[in-house]
Amino acid sequence: MKFAPLLLVASLGMSAAHAQPIPLEKVKEKAATCAACHGADGNSDTPAQSQYPRLAGQYHDYLARALHEYKSGGRKNPIMAGMAAPLSDTEIDALSRYFAAMPSKLDDLSRHEQGD
Amino acid sequence: MTRTTSACALILLTAAFAASAFAAEAIDAAKGDAKAGKALVYTCGGCHGVTGYMNAYPNYHVPRIGGQNYDYLVAALTEYKTGQRNHPTMHAQGESLSDQDIRNIATYLSSIVK
Repeated sequence: MKFAPLLLVASLGMSAAHAQPIPLEKVKEKAATCAACHGADGNSDTPAQSQYPRLAGQYHDYLARALHEYKSGGRKNPIMAGMAAPLSDTEIDALSRYFAAMPSKLDDLSRHEQGD
Repeated sequence: MTRTTSACALILLTAAFAASAFAAEAIDAAKGDAKAGKALVYTCGGCHGVTGYMNAYPNYHVPRIGGQNYDYLVAALTEYKTGQRNHPTMHAQGESLSDQDIRNIATYLSSIVK
């Protein structure tokens, strides 16, 4: 957690070949909109938020893919279409990395064992 | 007389407990059966169980789905099943699942929160 902002800055730096990175404070401002449904910690943790996915710790490129699809209309969701429409590619990248760097409740299934 | 009354009370009390127990089970049934879901999740592991596994064309990581929210998982799988959400592999998976299968899978996956 302590290193999350550092990681974010590093990862933003790497993707900055084609665009100026967005300052963390600006990313946080943008992310405040997401918090209403996805929680301030990105975990959509209340019972009412069960209909929304947890974002914290999800792969950043999967999150970016989802936002691009909402924006293009390839993935249809009235709420997310409105949210994604005004975002630039750079903002999508920054927001995705911001949520991906948060402490996560998600897990891949690599430790899944079949049977009881 | 008193014995009959207390017997009646006991029966009523038992019925009330049974009813509340049944109601609790009914709520779980509205979700799904985690054990049945776990058996079905075997298939998911081929992609979602490989750390860092990439979707091909376009390239991006397949999402982490362990610990994801129940209602979101039900919605996502249902949308893949109906084709509302477009992904060839997940559409094929969704088509093979009944609505109950989907609830079972979502119950299991949402239960393994990290």
